[in-house]
Amino acid sequence: MTRRLPWIIKYRPKRVADVINQEQAKKTFLQWLESWLKGKPSKKAALLYGPAGCGKTSLVEAAAREHGLEVVEMNASDFRRKQDIERIAKVAATQRSLFARGKIILLDEVDGISGMADRGAVDAILHLIETTRYPVVMTANNPWDQKLRPIREASLLIPFKRLTERDVVIALKRICSAEKIECDEKALREIARRSEGDLRSAINDLQAIAEGYGKVTLELVRMLSTYRNRQYAPFEALKNLFNAKYIFQAKNAVSQADVDYETMMIWINEHIPTYYDDPEEIWRAYEALSRADVYLGRIKRTGNWSLLPYVFEMMGPGVAFARKIYRYKWKAFRSPQRLQLLAQTKRSREIREGIARALAPSLLTSRRRVKTDVIPYLKIIFEKNPKYAAKIAIGYGLTEEMIRWLAGPNARQVLQYYRKYKK
Amino acid sequence: MSSSKVLAELLWAEKYRPRSLDEIVNQEEIVSRLKKFVQEKNMPHLLFAGPPGTGKTTAAHCLAHDLYGENYRQYMLELNASDERGIDVIRSKVKEFARTRIPGNIPFKIVLLDEADNMTSDAQQALRRLMEMYTATTRFILIANYPSKIIEPIQSRCAVFRFTPLKKEDVIARLKWIAEQEKVEYDIEALEAIYELSEGDMRRAINILQAAAAIGKVTVDAVYKVVGLAHPKEVRQMINLALSGNFTEARNKLRQLMINYGLSGVDVIKQIHKEIFSQEIKLPDEYRIIIADLAGEIQFRLVEGADDEIQLNAFLARLAFIGKKLKV
Repeated sequence: MTRRLPWIIKYRPKRVADVINQEQAKKTFLQWLESWLKGKPSKKAALLYGPAGCGKTSLVEAAAREHGLEVVEMNASDFRRKQDIERIAKVAATQRSLFARGKIILLDEVDGISGMADRGAVDAILHLIETTRYPVVMTANNPWDQKLRPIREASLLIPFKRLTERDVVIALKRICSAEKIECDEKALREIARRSEGDLRSAINDLQAIAEGYGKVTLELVRMLSTYRNRQYAPFEALKNLFNAKYIFQAKNAVSQADVDYETMMIWINEHIPTYYDDPEEIWRAYEALSRADVYLGRIKRTGNWSLLPYVFEMMGPGVAFARKIYRYKWKAFRSPQRLQLLAQTKRSREIREGIARALAPSLLTSRRRVKTDVIPYLKIIFEKNPKYAAKIAIGYGLTEEMIRWLAGPNARQVLQYYRKYKK
Repeated sequence: MSSSKVLAELLWAEKYRPRSLDEIVNQEEIVSRLKKFVQEKNMPHLLFAGPPGTGKTTAAHCLAHDLYGENYRQYMLELNASDERGIDVIRSKVKEFARTRIPGNIPFKIVLLDEADNMTSDAQQALRRLMEMYTATTRFILIANYPSKIIEPIQSRCAVFRFTPLKKEDVIARLKWIAEQEKVEYDIEALEAIYELSEGDMRRAINILQAAAAIGKVTVDAVYKVVGLAHPKEVRQMINLALSGNFTEARNKLRQLMINYGLSGVDVIKQIHKEIFSQEIKLPDEYRIIIADLAGEIQFRLVEGADDEIQLNAFLARLAFIGKKLKV
């Protein structure tokens, strides 16, 4: 498996001019940023808001790059932890030295902080805005929540428009030509239509199809959208799960996914090592998943469905927060090998079961025991002594298919004797 | 058909199994008590308990044979708790069986329930009610490795027979006798090796003997070769891969084991447990204890009905993490 860069990172706007169709927002933001650099900001913080994937974070990053500023990104949920508050406050309050680069403090998705549990977070953010010596930028999909009121009042509000289908198509086309892939215009329009202005999800869809099939046609896009509800849904849910920034997002990823939780578990089980490399992360994720599995088992045995939230908490946030640091991850679609292997080996398992069924009554034992205690020795006889094996096959009425399965490379010889003796 | 009979062979575990109580050479005390039931043509419910391969199921069949004669199997319902899907299946089979006529001179039929200790205690409660309901026309013989896993109310309704591990000389004498019947060449040291490797399990000992004989003369080397072939090295390889920090490879090995060898999760964790204390696995001793404890927890979860792959992956992930810490 090669490590491919997610296109949403590879094709992030490098310059402010590359940010598509947010002219008013750009102008306001740049004016505010420059007022900071001159030392006289009207407000010390800016709150960028608008629908998902319309370019809020991209604009901040592009502007920072053009002004030679470093983006210090802070996950707003980290504000709950005291040492994080102190750490970020220290960074923010430190006087800029002559040689160090300037900074932008970025708090992504502040609407993710939830009411009661995060009351401290809002206060911490307000304190940060008061004391900071650097521009503080926040983003949100929906800034109108009651709990964000004090933050709104302390910030310059900058609205972002929902991107049009045309905007999205233009961006997708640019990527297609940079990647040198064949893209049907109609297909791009279909992706754009379904994205509802979310450029990030549109680019992800484009990459999924392009890397999966080497081209992008209307049929493939349509297929993907029907997939969405079936094979594709768990993939989507996984992406949301492993990229969740907040507990509630991770929980929603598994509880509101278009997949039942047992299928979801199979997918998570498959993909923990896809998303995590570090043995500690892998261990912690599996630990959580295995706990979810235990709870699910107890529910099934006792019928006590009140345990279900624990299942979701362990398989959702438990798995997502096994990571040591947050970074966005994009992985190619791959369905669980377990399901493929089970399908591929179905016949083989049926044959083994058939042999166990044929032998168990005369050996006075369970089929399970025949499989573990008898078949391994039977295989040795079939692989090493074709003549004798053929006689045993006759003794137990084994079929030719069973003989082939037991004898492996030696099957032809065993079958020769078997047919001869049978006459 | 008659010629194919000559050319048909059976597994020796079946071919040389005692058919009648008279042919059983060990467990003398048990056999003499069972013979009393035959004389009296009556018996209570029975519980046979003891390690695998000590002759429990064989004794039950011999008893039935001696009670009913050659066609005894038509008067006996054979069930295996680890193959039947739940108590409901067992209940309907018993019900169906108890309805049919009983043989002339014996006033009851037999329900033989093997591996009864694999039943949950709820299922055992249901079983107890079944035993009471049909007690006029049937007798139950329950077979278990661990009598303590059979609930008290069932134990108190049964005459309990404890089968002891076979003695070394008994096992070797039997192997010798079979080898001579089959005109197999053998070294006596090889038979001793078989005894050691089979841990007192007669069926396993006979299987090893037959597989070794299929290759040629039964020598110590042949015995070890056969056992090595039958018991894949993959379990050890899997543990070592995990301990080297390579979780993904270890997971692939696990899948191979479960799919190619048809092992259940419990089979795998039991084999892992055997390997943990082996010197082939390089590990500080204090970690062996930690890992054994974890294996126990995983086995418990699997027995409770948890998912094989998820639980074993969790186990391997922990090993990989321990392996990484040890390297640092």
